[in-house]
Amino acid sequence: MPPDAIVELDRITKRFAGHTAVRELSLTVPRGSVYGLLGPNGAGKSTTIRMIMGVLLPDSGRVALFGGRGNGRELSHRIGYLPEERGLYKKMRVADLLVFLAEIKGVARPAARRAAGEWLERLGLADWAAKRAEALSRGMQQKVQFIATVLHRPDLLILDEPFSGLDPVNSQVLKDTVVELARGGATILFSTHIMEQAEKLCDAVCIIARGEKLVDGALSEVKRRHGGSHVIVAVEPGQAAADPILADRRLVVSADRFGNYAEVELASGADPQSLLERLVQAGVRLSRFEIAEPTLNKIFLDLVGPEAATAAATPEGPGHA
Amino acid sequence: MHKVWVIIRREFVERVRSKWFVIGTILGPVLMGATVVLPIVLVGQGGVRRTIAVVDATSAEVGRRVVELLGRAELIRATRVAVRPADIGRTADSLAPYVGLEAIDGFVILTDATVDSGRAEYRGSNAASLGDMRLLQGALRQVVVAERLRRLGVDPDVVTRADVSVALATVTIRGGEVTGESGEATFFLAYVVWFLLYISIMLYGVQVMSSVVEEKTTRMVEVLVSSVEPFRLLAGKIVGVGAVGLFQMAIWGLCGKLVLDYRVSLVRMLGSKGEEAAAALAGLGVPEVPVGMIFISLSYFLLGYFLYAAMFGAVAAMVNSEAEARQAQIPVVLLLMVPSVMMVGILAAPNGSLARVLSQIPFTSPIAMPVRWASAPVSAAELAGSLVLLVAAVLGTVWIAGRIYRVGILLYGKKPGVRELVRWVKG
Repeated sequence: MPPDAIVELDRITKRFAGHTAVRELSLTVPRGSVYGLLGPNGAGKSTTIRMIMGVLLPDSGRVALFGGRGNGRELSHRIGYLPEERGLYKKMRVADLLVFLAEIKGVARPAARRAAGEWLERLGLADWAAKRAEALSRGMQQKVQFIATVLHRPDLLILDEPFSGLDPVNSQVLKDTVVELARGGATILFSTHIMEQAEKLCDAVCIIARGEKLVDGALSEVKRRHGGSHVIVAVEPGQAAADPILADRRLVVSADRFGNYAEVELASGADPQSLLERLVQAGVRLSRFEIAEPTLNKIFLDLVGPEAATAAATPEGPGHA
Repeated sequence: MHKVWVIIRREFVERVRSKWFVIGTILGPVLMGATVVLPIVLVGQGGVRRTIAVVDATSAEVGRRVVELLGRAELIRATRVAVRPADIGRTADSLAPYVGLEAIDGFVILTDATVDSGRAEYRGSNAASLGDMRLLQGALRQVVVAERLRRLGVDPDVVTRADVSVALATVTIRGGEVTGESGEATFFLAYVVWFLLYISIMLYGVQVMSSVVEEKTTRMVEVLVSSVEPFRLLAGKIVGVGAVGLFQMAIWGLCGKLVLDYRVSLVRMLGSKGEEAAAALAGLGVPEVPVGMIFISLSYFLLGYFLYAAMFGAVAAMVNSEAEARQAQIPVVLLLMVPSVMMVGILAAPNGSLARVLSQIPFTSPIAMPVRWASAPVSAAELAGSLVLLVAAVLGTVWIAGRIYRVGILLYGKKPGVRELVRWVKG
């Protein structure tokens, strides 16, 4: 195990009656990273997360948290878990509810009360502290659920589809808070099927489909490995010196030329930096040189295939894969 | 352990703070007080006085004596109607409509056969009232005996002096000690014990069920089991709700004691009519509840509550909604009702084989044993055996319920079949 792995899954498998929800899944979440667990609905994201939390036990394989032996339940004071299906005790007052949820994670009562007050203030819910949860709007309830997840200052945040059902304003608030917590040193593991979000937030990702891992690693690494490399080059008019370089098959697979503008697909293993170097050395005057990474969405679609991608477009079902 | 304590405290505090707890706690003693005080006040205000006619066709006119005797009891006002034996049928027919109009409650027909062979007939709207009929029967018997003695030539003065009604005072002996409580009070005590145990086990057991269903439907359970083991969650819930039950009973017990202790002044506060009632109350034997009874009842309540709360908890874990839970709880409720259905049999023969068996079976003993104990002596061996069996059943049931709960709370959708349940328990 790498010394700085906060979560390490070693070939975990979970079978339910009739189907295998997760098969031989291994992944490593490095300390301090924002890690995206990506996949279409029914891919096994929630099952994986529930096994990390110890809510479900894997049929085989091993889950290691913080490099030690304790399971999610024993380490719940260090973990903030926001499940996919979430709710609140309807009749309980918001502040009491937050204190209760912090207390079962081992936070002392006075500290929990103080932290609850601070967070409610911070997310604009201070006036609602003494109200019953049922009096809150859906958006406010989601904020309360999020506060319950972070109140005990966890080192590891596990968020299952945190953005689903959030309006743009709350989505922004949640994203800002997550980023802030990550800057503060927390490790964040979240699942989503919205690739744009993952692309902006994640340092590292793991893409799964039908319970199996398709790819994982640092985001840049995944992009480099699975998207090929595309470069957009625009030169000032009359720069013929660029032509032989763009025709060099060791460096360039194909170049789609539009006069002074070209979309270049680099040969596998070729470094965009060396292309830039060659062009500059040849005295080509560039007006634009852009490494055009493929989007995560494109990689996702390429890997998962159109079949699973269709599944991703269907609304959330009752199943918990 | 700390987490379990947090769960217990939440269950307790949230429940005690709820509107329903306050209402239920206030309403409980009010109803209790009403059941003790109200009937007596009603009697004091003459609410159940009867008016009857005595159709007297006897040659010796024994009806006069009957009217006189009934008049002394003040509960029945009788009027004599003298008829010839031939007119009995017609008179009876003409009186019946008056019963229909509620001008009179009924009429008794006396003939010479009454004196000769002890036969009389009563027709009336209160014919089913055991109290009224016992009173009437007593009066008739006294008159008939006196008349027959007179016919045999006994001096009427001697007859009058010989006549005395015997008041049988019943005193219960429990555990070799005279308790100073009457037989009626013993019956009353057993009845109250049954009622309280049945109601409270049901009430608080169902609350455990609702609590589990709530956590499942609101999906709180997912967050909870990510930091607390399911078994501890269930245990904390059961203990928390049980503590609410004990707390509520303590309040009720205290109020009940106060009402009984100050019953005379309470009734007096109800006004001038209350005075007579107060006098009647002062003489009434109120069951003195022995400490042993309280101890036994509480022990069986707690064990019975644990047993049934665990089952209600397991049932709740299998379902997806409150409505489904109401369906699924029926077998558990029926099981709890068994001793109640057999209550008449238990009270009639507290040491009969039915009562003995029911007080040993763990699922019926929480109610059957305290009721038996309240109404008749129970050997220490039987008590110990019943307790051992019950404790064993509680442990087994809680274990099985915990296994079902652990799996059930995380599953939504189709209710599991028996075979699947067995797999959950084994798994």
